[in-house]
Amino acid sequence: MSYALARPARLDLESFARAAGLHPDLVRRFVAAGVLDAWRDSTGALWFSPRQLATVYRIQRLRAGFALNYAALGLVIDLLDRIEALEAAMRKRPYPAEPPSPAGGRTWT
Amino acid sequence: MPPARDYYQVLGVPRNASQEEIQQAYRKLARAYHPDLNKDPDAEERFKDISEAYAVLSDPEERRRYDAFGPDFRQVSPDVDPDAFRRAGAGGRTWRSGAGRAKAGQGAGRGFGFGAGEGIDLDDLLGGMFGGLGGGLGGLGRGPVAGADQEAELEISVEEAYRGGRRTITLGGRQGTTRTLDVTIPAGVANGQRIRLAAQGGQGSDGGPAGDLYLIVRIAPHPRYRVEGRDVYMDLPLAPWEAALGTTVAVEVPSGEVKVKVPAGTSSGRRLRLPGRGLPNPRGQPGDLYAEVRIVVPARLSRDERRLFEELAKVSTFEPRSQR
Repeated sequence: MSYALARPARLDLESFARAAGLHPDLVRRFVAAGVLDAWRDSTGALWFSPRQLATVYRIQRLRAGFALNYAALGLVIDLLDRIEALEAAMRKRPYPAEPPSPAGGRTWT
Repeated sequence: MPPARDYYQVLGVPRNASQEEIQQAYRKLARAYHPDLNKDPDAEERFKDISEAYAVLSDPEERRRYDAFGPDFRQVSPDVDPDAFRRAGAGGRTWRSGAGRAKAGQGAGRGFGFGAGEGIDLDDLLGGMFGGLGGGLGGLGRGPVAGADQEAELEISVEEAYRGGRRTITLGGRQGTTRTLDVTIPAGVANGQRIRLAAQGGQGSDGGPAGDLYLIVRIAPHPRYRVEGRDVYMDLPLAPWEAALGTTVAVEVPSGEVKVKVPAGTSSGRRLRLPGRGLPNPRGQPGDLYAEVRIVVPARLSRDERRLFEELAKVSTFEPRSQR
């Protein structure tokens, strides 16, 4: 008898929907709206990364909090991702740039 | 049990606010405190309060009962008419804590009936209740939803970034409580790096798992050291003769003491690189430390020093301004 030792690398629509606690049709609508990424195999079946579960939860929280439609959800998620990337880049900068000194360089000898 | 908060205060609206004003206030506050827009751990609790306040005040019937009976209005039997209650002089608009309880009947909460009130945005209502009162949504087909990830800043010193260490942090918890977490800071964390604390983020709803908490490391400005990535910069003050003749000086750096060899003929601004003396890197090469030479002169010269400098000035043909 064999046991799954690790999470599968990808989930089919049914398993993904079950893990997300959603109806598969709703998951399909998220994919069609372009707010959730999925792969299509040669038979047209959808496959998901388990990491996409976090995206589904985010979609649901945003939908619930702001009554967003699918188009707006996609926009909000894209903008939030861009803000996050910018904030991360800003944090990596050491300190705010020093104001230029009157002499145009270092003030010491 | 913390004191119940006044729903009008939570939304920042007067008691006679219109439904439109209430909706407007909710929308603005939701944008500020929604856990996916505000990753501060304290924002989640605030958002739940806001959602709960809106769920009640946006429903005219719920609002009427809240106005009459106060925060315990769900304990009051649905048979008790708020207007009759008010006429009886048991509290009126300015309810006192406990006024509702005095009339508490057998009905333990009547659930959230979505009344057919005009001007209510049903989506808002569902959204408002979601998270704050997640349990009430079971029948509406929503499954468990994981909590959002949260972020908090963790300021550490340059020395801590070198050595690592332990830190106890205090965060806002549920209903005004605080929670403390013991955090291990790994040696060699860089500015902006995130330390993940699994399942310490936002609460899930309907049994969904909690999100993660990310501590974002910020290395505090240091009077001696400046950190850029894993490289560390510091000033190295030298006397003019040390810089001109060359020397070896002992310098205190975050990882201990090092000897820095200053070559003869070193001018201000020269960077002396000490390989591997920057921030350690758990997954690769450590950063470098750069000692930036800064020539300092005595503010006051002794008689001998002045004489020697004057002699040097006479003898020397050095033209610092013609060398550019």
